Amino acid sequence: MNDKRGKHIAIYGKGGIGKSTTTSNISAALAEAGYRVIQVGCDPKSDSTTILRGGNDLPTVLDTLREQSKVRIEDISAVGFGGVLCIEAGGPVPGVGCAGRGINAAVELLHDLKVFEEHKPDFVLYDVLGDVVCGGFAVPIRDGIAERAFVVTSSDFMAVFAANNLFKAINKYAPSGGARLGGVIANSIQANYSRPLIDDFASHAGVPVVGYVPRSMVVAQSELYGKTVIEAYPDSEQAGVYRKLASCIDANSESVIPRPLNGPELKKWARTWGDRIFQAESGVVQHMESI
Amino acid sequence: MSQHIAETRNSCALHGALQLIDAIRGVVPVIHSNAGCGMQHFLGINRQGNNSGPYGSPPVSSSNISEKHVVFGGSSRLREQLKNTVKVVDGELYFIVTGCSTEMVGDDIPAMAKEGREQSFPVIYANTPGFRGDVHHGYQLALKALVEQLPGLEGEKRSKKERRVNVFGILPGQDPFWRGNLEELGRLLEGIGLEVNLLPGEELGVEAWRRVPEASLNIAVSAWGEPAAKLLDERYGTPSLFLEALPVGHAAGNLLRSLAELFRLDAEKSDRFIAAEDTRLRRRLAELSDLYFQAGLQQSFALVGESAAVAGIAEFLTGTLGLLPGLLAVTDPLPEDTSETLMQSLSGYQDEFGAQVVFSEDSARIADAIIESKAGIVLGSEFERPAAEELDAVFLPVSFPLGRKVVIERGYAGYRGASAFLEDLFSARLSGKT
Repeated sequence: MNDKRGKHIAIYGKGGIGKSTTTSNISAALAEAGYRVIQVGCDPKSDSTTILRGGNDLPTVLDTLREQSKVRIEDISAVGFGGVLCIEAGGPVPGVGCAGRGINAAVELLHDLKVFEEHKPDFVLYDVLGDVVCGGFAVPIRDGIAERAFVVTSSDFMAVFAANNLFKAINKYAPSGGARLGGVIANSIQANYSRPLIDDFASHAGVPVVGYVPRSMVVAQSELYGKTVIEAYPDSEQAGVYRKLASCIDANSESVIPRPLNGPELKKWARTWGDRIFQAESGVVQHMESI
Repeated sequence: MSQHIAETRNSCALHGALQLIDAIRGVVPVIHSNAGCGMQHFLGINRQGNNSGPYGSPPVSSSNISEKHVVFGGSSRLREQLKNTVKVVDGELYFIVTGCSTEMVGDDIPAMAKEGREQSFPVIYANTPGFRGDVHHGYQLALKALVEQLPGLEGEKRSKKERRVNVFGILPGQDPFWRGNLEELGRLLEGIGLEVNLLPGEELGVEAWRRVPEASLNIAVSAWGEPAAKLLDERYGTPSLFLEALPVGHAAGNLLRSLAELFRLDAEKSDRFIAAEDTRLRRRLAELSDLYFQAGLQQSFALVGESAAVAGIAEFLTGTLGLLPGLLAVTDPLPEDTSETLMQSLSGYQDEFGAQVVFSEDSARIADAIIESKAGIVLGSEFERPAAEELDAVFLPVSFPLGRKVVIERGYAGYRGASAFLEDLFSARLSGKT
C-alpha cells in the first residue's frame, strides 16, 4: 500500500439487505490480513459498525458536532476488531431534519479533522444507505471521496431496484471524477434462482459480480453475539466467503461505469424473471436453463 | 440558449410576504431561515425602497438556523425563537415566514404555529421558500395565510355588510406608491357612498384583515390579487371585481360609475361626486396646457414597471395627455392565466400606435428596448435611468426601485394621483432633461 490516502470504497445497498454485516465482515477480513482499516457508517441509524465493536456505544459525528463546537477524532471513533477504526456519521431521528445534509457535513468534518492523514489507513469503507434518495447520500461517490463503489443486493426485486438507482448515481458522477463501480456483491443467496437472477441483472447493466454470499445461520448467530463472522467463527465456511470477497476487493482494482436500466427496461426484465421463476416452480423444464 | 438577467427587480417569495407583513401595523414577522434571508430583505426592499417596516429592519426576529438545524431539523429552534419574540415584541399577530433551507428540510411549521396558539399567542404562518416563486408569489402566499388563518383565531363569526368593499392586490414596496394608491382608491370609493376596507390600511392594522369576511365585494387590483379574490369567493361567496390596470385620472370615474350601478347607490350623489372630481382634474389640465406646449411635452414615451401601473399610466399618458407610447415594458412575470383584458389592452398600444410591448425582468433587455424606442420621456425605475441619460430624455422614476426618490404618501391612482403624476412629470421636464 503505497498510496498514503488508502483505498476509499463506498458500499451501498438497500436498507436491511445485509450491507452493514457484509461491510463489517469485509473490514474484519481486511484487518485480519494486516491492513489498517477505517469503516464509516453513513446511515442515520448509526449501526454500521456495531458488530465490529461488540455492540458498545459510539457517539456519532453529528451528535458530537451538535453538542460541542470542537470535535476530536477520539470523541467520534472507537477501535474495533482487528484495530478497525469505527466511525458513525449519525443523523436525525426519523421524520425530521435532513439526513442527506448530515452525511455531507459528517464527511466534511472527517476531512477537516484529517482523520485519513493521521490514521493512514490502507482501506476506508463507507457503508451508505443505498437508495440514494437525494444528493446527500451520493456524497461518498462524488469526486475526491471514494474511488470505487460496490453494491450489495439480494435477488429481491426492490434490492435490485435500489442497486439500479445507485448505478444511475454512479453513471452521473463518474464522468466528472466521481467513484466508478467495483461490482455487485450478491447477498443472501438461498433460492435456486438467486444467483442466475443477480448475474443476469449485472450482465444487463454491464457490471461484474465480485462475490456470492450465501444465506447462513452463522451470520445470524455472530450478530447475536455482537461480532463479525470473522471474529466469532473464524474457521467457518462463511468466514472463508468474506475473506475471499475481501481479497477480491483488495487484489482487483478494476471498475466500470454501469449502464443502469431505465424504468420500462427494468420492469420488462423483472417480468421475464417472474415468468421463469413461476415456470421453474411449476415444473416446466426449459432447455439449458440453470433453474 | 441560456440567458442572463441583469439587475432583476423581483426578489423572492419570502420577501414578498415580508413586504406585506411589514406594511400591517401590529404584525410581527418571525423568519425561520438562515440569517441572510432577513438581511437580504432589508438590503433589497427597505434600502432600495427607502423605507422600513416597524419590525422589518435588521432587528427582525429570525431563527438564523445553522447546519445542525438543517441536519437535525429546525422546528425546536423556531419554537425557541417564537417564545423569545413574544417576550420581546408586543405584537397583535405573530407571522412565521420560512426560507428555502427550512422548507427543504421540511420543518413542521404548522405545528409550531399551533403550539404558539395553544399558549394563547396569536400565531399564523406561511410557507414562503424563495424557490416557490418570486416576490409577487410571496405576497399572494402571505395574503392567503391572513385570509385563511385569521378567522380561526377569533371566536365570533363576522356577518356581511351591504356596502363594505375590500381592496387588495397592490404589493407594498413592489409598488413604491402603494399607500397613496390604496388610500386614493379608498377616498374615491367612500366618496360615492361605499365603506372601504383597505388591505393593508393605515388605521386598522390587523383589524382590517379580521374584517375581510364582512365585505360584499372584493376589488382585486393587478393580476396578483386574483387568487385571494377567488379564495374569498369560495369561502364567503364574496364576488370580485378585477382591476388589471390601476385607474389613473378619468379611468377612476368609469370605475366609480360601474360600482355605483353595481351597488345601486344614490345615483345623484355619486354622479355629483364623480363630476366634481372630473371637473377638478380637467381644470388642472387646462392650467397646465400652456406649459405642455411650451415645454414640448408631447413626445413619445417609454414606460417600465409592474403590469397594473404600466396599463394604468399608459392609458392616462396616451388617452388624457396625448403622448405617444413607444415602449411598454412589463416587469412582473404575469401568471399564465392572466386575464385577456390586460393582454388585449397592452397589445392595443402595439396595434394602434406601433408601440413595442416587452414582458421582461431583464434590465439589460429593457434598456436596449428603451434606446431603440428613441423615447423623449422615460418612466421606469432607477435601473432605467442610464438608458434615459443616453437618450437625453426626460426621466421620471415611477417603479421599484425608485433610487433617488422618496415616497411616503404619494400615489398615482385616481384623480389626486393623476394630479400628483402631472406635478412629477412636468417637474421632471422643467428640472432638466434627466
